[in-house]
Amino acid sequence: MNSLTTVGQKIPKRDAPPKAIGAAVYIQDMKVPGMLHGKILYSKHPHARILKLDTSRAEKLAGVRAVITAADMPSTFRIGVMKDNPPLKTGKVLSIRDEIAAVAATSPEIAEEALSLIEVEYEVLPGIFDPIEAMKEGAMLLHEETKSNVLKLPWKLVCGDVEAAKKEAVFIVEDTFSTPWVTHCCLGTSGCIAQFDTNNNLTMYSNTQIPSLAQNDYIEALNAFGLKNKRVRIVQCVIGGGFGSKLDTYSYEYIAIRLSLKTRKPVKIIFSREEEFFATSPRQCTITKISHGCDREGRLMFREIEMVLDNGAYTSWGATTPSVMMLPISSLYKVPNVKYTAKCVYTNNTYSQAMRGYGNPQATFAIESSLDQLAEIAGIDPYELRLKNANEPGEVTPQRFKITSCGMKECIEEVVKRLNWKGKHGRGAGRGVGMASLIHVGGGARVYKSDGCGTIIKMDDFGKVDVFTGASDIGQGSETIIAQIVAEVLGIPIDDVNVINNDTDICPWDVGVHASRTTFVAGNAALGAALKIKSQVLEAAAKLLEEDPAYLDIKNGIVFSTRNKEKSTPLGKALRKAHYTLGGKMLMAEYFYDPKNENFDKEFKGNLSVSYAYGTHGVEVEVDKETGQVKILDYVAAHDVGKAINPLLLEGQIYGGGLQGVGYALGEKMVYVNGELKNGNFLDYKIPTAKDVPPMQAVIVETDEKDGPFGAKGIGEPGLVPTAPAIANAIYDAVGVRIKDLPITPEKVLKALKGKEKIG
Amino acid sequence: MNRYDYHQPGTIEEAVGLMAILDDAKYIAGGTDVMVLIRQKKLKPKNLISLRNIKDLVYIDTAKGLRFGAATTHSAIDNHDIIRRNYSALTDATSHLGSLQIRNVATIGGNICNAAPSADTACPLLVLDAVVSVVGPKGARDIAVDDFFQGPGKTALAHGELVKGLSIPSFGENTGSAYIKHTRRQAMDLPILGVATRITLSMKNGAEVRCRDMFCTIDSISNILAKLKEEELKIDEARIAMGVVAPRPMRAKKAEAVLTGKVVSPELFEEAGNVAASEAQPRDSIRGEAWYRSEMIKVLVKRALIKSMDRIIRPDEAIYPERLW
Ligand SMILES: Cc1cc2nc3c(=O)[nH]c(=O)nc-3n(C[C@H](O)[C@H](O)[C@H](O)COP(=O)(O)OP(=O)(O)OC[C@H]3O[C@@H](n4cnc5c(N)ncnc54)[C@H](O)[C@@H]3O)c2cc1C
Repeated sequence: MNSLTTVGQKIPKRDAPPKAIGAAVYIQDMKVPGMLHGKILYSKHPHARILKLDTSRAEKLAGVRAVITAADMPSTFRIGVMKDNPPLKTGKVLSIRDEIAAVAATSPEIAEEALSLIEVEYEVLPGIFDPIEAMKEGAMLLHEETKSNVLKLPWKLVCGDVEAAKKEAVFIVEDTFSTPWVTHCCLGTSGCIAQFDTNNNLTMYSNTQIPSLAQNDYIEALNAFGLKNKRVRIVQCVIGGGFGSKLDTYSYEYIAIRLSLKTRKPVKIIFSREEEFFATSPRQCTITKISHGCDREGRLMFREIEMVLDNGAYTSWGATTPSVMMLPISSLYKVPNVKYTAKCVYTNNTYSQAMRGYGNPQATFAIESSLDQLAEIAGIDPYELRLKNANEPGEVTPQRFKITSCGMKECIEEVVKRLNWKGKHGRGAGRGVGMASLIHVGGGARVYKSDGCGTIIKMDDFGKVDVFTGASDIGQGSETIIAQIVAEVLGIPIDDVNVINNDTDICPWDVGVHASRTTFVAGNAALGAALKIKSQVLEAAAKLLEEDPAYLDIKNGIVFSTRNKEKSTPLGKALRKAHYTLGGKMLMAEYFYDPKNENFDKEFKGNLSVSYAYGTHGVEVEVDKETGQVKILDYVAAHDVGKAINPLLLEGQIYGGGLQGVGYALGEKMVYVNGELKNGNFLDYKIPTAKDVPPMQAVIVETDEKDGPFGAKGIGEPGLVPTAPAIANAIYDAVGVRIKDLPITPEKVLKALKGKEKIG
Repeated sequence: MNRYDYHQPGTIEEAVGLMAILDDAKYIAGGTDVMVLIRQKKLKPKNLISLRNIKDLVYIDTAKGLRFGAATTHSAIDNHDIIRRNYSALTDATSHLGSLQIRNVATIGGNICNAAPSADTACPLLVLDAVVSVVGPKGARDIAVDDFFQGPGKTALAHGELVKGLSIPSFGENTGSAYIKHTRRQAMDLPILGVATRITLSMKNGAEVRCRDMFCTIDSISNILAKLKEEELKIDEARIAMGVVAPRPMRAKKAEAVLTGKVVSPELFEEAGNVAASEAQPRDSIRGEAWYRSEMIKVLVKRALIKSMDRIIRPDEAIYPERLW
C-alpha cells in the first residue's frame, strides 16, 4: 500500500464534541412515550431468611403500576455464567445486593416511596465473608444444592514439569500477593428501558457492550416467561463507559422486562450512583501464592501459582477471569515450566465481573512483583532479568500461543532509556524506579465459538458512506477508528463516513467489546467490506471512464486513472451513473471477519489470539518516609501496538489505562466489612482526580502485525495491566519495603517502614 | 420524596425573621453541604432560606486585622493577597478545599456551621484566634471560635441564629501560620488529619528575624533547625490546632505551652508533636487508622511549625519545604 492519508493521523474522537457540549443522548436522557420508572428493593442483610414480604401497601400508593417479587418470575429461571442467580430472590438472600422486589410507577420518586412501603421481615443468618473460611471442610454452604462452596470450574494449567525444574533452579522465591475489589466507576451508571410491542416483541434501550449476546440472553428470558419465538431488538444509547461492567446482563434488566410485561408499558430503570457502587459487579479480588525459579544466569525455569478468588454469592464473568490470567502466567517472559490452579469460592460478598484486563492485572501484579524479588536474590538488575527472558517474535509459548509480532524488548529498552534507569535504579534514599511488563491478547480472543464481527457498507448517490458494524463504541473510540479505516481504503475524507453501531435490527453480529479486540476484529471486518465495495466502485467508474479498473484508484473522493491523467471523475458521479441506469445498482458490500484463532483445548492450550500485545511501564517514585506517601515523579508507558491507526486515541487509551492503574495501585479498594460496602461513594472510594495525574509519557512501539488492519493490534486493556507492580517495584527500590497487598496506602508503607526500622 | 420551599431574603433581618416564622427551616449558603445531606436523606427541611442574596454577608476587610462575611466564598479568600501573606494558614485551607467548582460556591460560614470534624477552615481559624459574630432573634453576640465548635455537626449557635461574619486580630510582623491537610488525593478529598500552627518569634538580641537564607538550602530540615538553634529564635506565642482527631476540631493547648517562651530547636518541635499527639483521641475509620493519625500528628505538627517559621523568615518566598511534602 502506498502512503496513508487517514490511518496513522491524530484525528480527534468523533463523539468528543457532542459529549463535551451535552448533546450526546445517554440512557439517562432517553425517554419513550408512556414510560414508567422502575426501582429495585435490595436486601438489608448479606445473609438472611425472608420470613415475610408484604407489598400490599406499596401497591396501593397512587402512581404505582406494578410491584413484582420472585413470585412473578418463572421459578426455575436463573441468570449468569453458572445459572445460579435468580433475578428476584425468595427464601434466602445471600448478599446485600440481592434483589427481592421491584416497583414500576409513574415517576422515579413515587417508585422510590413505594419501595419504602414494602414490608420485609428477615431472620438474620451468620454469613461467610472470607473465601478461605468458606473453603474449609464443614463450612456453611451458600447454595444448599451444591456440595462445596468451591465452584466447579476447571482452572488448572500445567506446562512442562515444575517439580523437576524446582530441583534444578538455583534461585527460588515464593510469596503471597493479594488484590482488592475495585469498581469500574463508569460516569454513565447502569440502566435500560424495556418496551414491548403489541406482538410481544421486545426492544431494549441499553448501554450494553455485548448487544448480540445480550439479545441471546433476553430471548432466553422471554422463552422462560412463556413468550416463544419473539424478536428482540437492542438499541444502544451513547454509552458512558463500560470497562467490562456491561459485559453481562443483570437482574435489573430482567426486572425491567418483567415490569414492562406486567404493565404493558415501557419501563426504565436507571441506577443511582449508590446502586452503581454496591449493586454492580467489581473486578475480582484475589489471593495469589506464587513461586518463581531461575538458573544461575537468571533464565526463568518455572512459575507456579495457586490462586483463591472470592466469587461472592453468584457468578458472572469474574469467575472466568482465571482463563485470561493463564495468558501472563504461561507466557509473560519465556518460562518453560508452568503450573497454575485457581479456586473460585462462594461467599456472602458481592459477585464480580470483567474489568479492563480481565484478570491480567491481578496475575501480573503477583508475577512482576515476584520477578523483582527473584532478580534481587539472583543479584541481577531487574531490567536485565526482564530483557534476558523477554518474549520474541516467532516463539511458541508453553500454552501454545504463536507469537507473531513482539516488541517487548523495544518496550523495555524505551523505558530504560526514557527513565534513565541505569542512573536511578538502586540508589534507595527515598527515590526509586521500578518496571513491569505485560502480555495481552491483541488479535481477538476466541472465548466463544465465534470471535467474529460483521460489517455492511452502503454508498449513496453523493459518495457518502454508511458503515453498519456490530462493534459497539463504549467510549474507546472504535467509531472513529472504523471511519478512518474505511476512509483510507476508499480514498475519501473521513467526514464522508458515517458509522452506525447501535442497533441489532440493522447492524450485523459481533461478539462484543471485550478482549481489546475491536480495532483488530471490527477493524478487519470494516477493511474487508471497504475493499469489496471499493472494487465495485472502480468497476462502476471503469464504465464511465472507459478505463480498465486495474488502473483506477480513489483519492480525496476522486476516481482517477493511474496511467492517464485525463481520466478522472468525482466519486458521486460514478455512483449516480451506476444507479440511474436501466438495470442499475446501489453499491453495498458486507464482510464477516472471524480471526483464525483457536479455542482452548481441555488443557487450556491453544492459540487464543491471532496476535499478542506487549508493553512495559516504568515509574520513578519518591516516598515520604515520615508519612508513607508515595509520589510518582515520572511515568513511562511503552506499548507495542502493531500500528497506531490513530495516535491521539491510542495515547488516550494509554493515559487512561495508566491512570486507572495508578488508582488500582495506590488508592482504590471497595471496603467490604461483613458483606457490607462501607465506601460506596466517590469521597471514600479514591479514584485519582485530574490533579493526581502524574507526568506520563506514552511511547508507541510499532511492530506492524501482519494480520492486523494496517498492522494494528489491541490496546484497550493493556494500559493498566503492569501499572501496580511497576509502582510496587519502584517503592521497593526507593525505601526497601515491598507492599504485597493492593492498594499501596500510606498506612501500609509507613507500617512496613517502621517494621523495617525495628529489625534493621 | 423531599419537597421544600426556597426563600431568598435580601437582608440579614429578613433572613432571621423568616427563620422565626417558618417551620422546619434551614439556612443555605453555597449548599455544598446542605444539598448533599438532603440527597442522603439526613436532612429533610420544609424550607430553605438562602443567604446568597444578602450583600452584608459578603465582604473582606483588612483595615484592622481581618474581617470577612460568612457568605464569603473560599475562592474569594483564596485570591486575597493580604490574607495569603498575613494569615497563610487560612489560604492553605481554602486553596485545597474540594475543587475549584466547590470553592467558587461554598462559603466559609457554611464550612464552620456544618461543623464537620474535618472542616478545613476550622483549624486555621482556631490558631488565628478568630471570633464569630452572630445575630439571632435575640440580638447579636460574639463567640470565640474555640467555643463555637461543640461536636460533630454541633455549634454554639442557638435556634435561628445566623453567622454574620468572622474577625481575626492583626498579628505582628514576626508571626507566621500554616495548615497542612493530610489527604490521599490532591483534590476532592477530606483530610485524614489536619494540623494548623501559628507562631510569633523574636530574636534574643532584638535583631531582624526576616530575610534569612536558612531555608534556601537543600539541607535537611533537622540541620536547618539545628542552625537556627544557634541563633536563639524565641517563640513568644504559639497555637496548634488539629482536625479529625476528636469529635470537634481542637487546640493542642499542652503542646502550645511546651513551645511558648522556648528557643526553636529540633528537639522542641519534636516534643511539641509528641505532646500534641497525646492530647488527641483519634479513632479508626475507613478514612484512616487511629495509630496512623497519631503518627501523623507528630510529623505534621513539626512540619506545620517549620512552614510557619519559614513564612516569617522569608515572607515573600514560595514555601521551600513544600519541596519535601
Ligand atoms: C464535592 C465536595 C467536596 C468538598 N470538599 C471539602 C473539603 O475538602 N474540605 C471541607 O472542609 N469541606 C468540603 N466540602 C464540604 C463543603 O463544601 C464545605 O463545608 C463548605 O464550606 C460548606 O459551605 P456552603 O456555603 O456550601 O454551606 P451550606 O451547605 O450552604 O451550609 C452548610 C451548613 O451551614 C449552615 N449555614 C451556612 N451558612 C450559615 C450562616 N451564615 N449562618 C448559620 N448557618 C449557616 C447551613 O444551614 C448548613 O447547616 C465538600 C463538599 C463537596 C460537595
